[in-house]
Amino acid sequence: MKLAHVSTIAAPIERVWVVVMDVPRAAACVPGVAAVTPLGPDRFQGSLLVQIGPVRLVLDGEIAVIARDDGAHTASLRADAKDSRLGGTVRATMEIALSERAGGCELRIASDVQIGGRIGEFGQPVIQRKADSLLAQFARCLAERAA
Amino acid sequence: MNVSYHEPATWQEAHALLERHGDDATVLAGGTAFTLLLRQGLIRPGHVVALRRIAGASAIDADAHGGVSIGALATHTAVQRSDRITAAWPELADAVAKVATVRVRNQATLGGSVAHADPASDAPVMLCALAAQVVVTTADAGSRRVPIEELFVDTFTTTLGPAELIRSIEIPARPAGAAAVYRKYTLRSADDYACVSVGALADLGGGVFGGLRLFLGGVGPTPMRARSVERALAGTRVDARAIADAAALARDDVDPQSDTRGSAAYKREMARVWTERALRALAGMPIS
Repeated sequence: MKLAHVSTIAAPIERVWVVVMDVPRAAACVPGVAAVTPLGPDRFQGSLLVQIGPVRLVLDGEIAVIARDDGAHTASLRADAKDSRLGGTVRATMEIALSERAGGCELRIASDVQIGGRIGEFGQPVIQRKADSLLAQFARCLAERAA
Repeated sequence: MNVSYHEPATWQEAHALLERHGDDATVLAGGTAFTLLLRQGLIRPGHVVALRRIAGASAIDADAHGGVSIGALATHTAVQRSDRITAAWPELADAVAKVATVRVRNQATLGGSVAHADPASDAPVMLCALAAQVVVTTADAGSRRVPIEELFVDTFTTTLGPAELIRSIEIPARPAGAAAVYRKYTLRSADDYACVSVGALADLGGGVFGGLRLFLGGVGPTPMRARSVERALAGTRVDARAIADAAALARDDVDPQSDTRGSAAYKREMARVWTERALRALAGMPIS
């Protein structure tokens, strides 16, 4: 499943970039994320609680920065997580790009998400709407942290 | 998988069980949505709190405000057949009669449908149009009345707290001159969820639109209020052209997603078509 999100952030690009690439700090901007801890250079572990109505997913896993270009403000991340209670996996690659805009910058996140097991039962429309909502809150929070 | 099944005899016991077991407990009303989620493996409750044994939980009575109070555990069939409902709001009986199949209507409850908050369900859309209030009770014996459209916040998500329960749904007394209608468009089969549905209420006294409330189902994360349509018709003479022009605004009042019931663009267009049909039906005009 491919997802694309674009948000405008009213803060200078260099300051937003610093927050985005500080993974534990950026992750704290995603609602439902519990403490993210480093496993090594550019590798982190953490968990994300997602609630959709009566369904609670606790996704435990790792996130890794697999490429970054500080000059171009682009990065690639890979996330690998599972919910052991319901039985399901989420694997995602995310291409992140910041570009300068009048009054701030634009954040683009292009994700390719593979969902396995029970979680897939939700269907793409519900998952997509939840992802849209989480990333919109993420962008608002980034703007506050970078302001 | 071990599951403890509870059938409390009172609302107080039900609240206490939900408080005690927290996230590990799931409420069971009619069970139609619960069973699907369980079979899909999306929920694994350690405790199921079934409300079916609570005395009076399915009563349909006159309420303290001159309207009708529908107990949360009343089934869709009970609402459809209630003399009190068919006398006061036959349009609600019509809306719940459009839910799925008779086997589902015999089992699924009105409170369960509201709590489940599936944006393509029928009853919530019509209850929003009729300005229903939801009576919610809390574990500390408190209660609050919530306008139903404020209860829905997202797909399958309401403002209900973890140990809160819907006790009843209250529908105001029918104002003189009120007209109401529910229209449902199913794309795949007659018993499917709506591709688009429309619930509307208005006072058409003097041949002028007054107090219009129009909600659409299946085209957003909650029942979507068509505020642009309502504003365009407020104080306007009932007229086919005015209805068609206002209905076109419904396209931008909705927020559909593409799925097996059509693309987002198709659903926006069907929101226009079915809003126009619902408004014409409200005014007693034939389908154009």
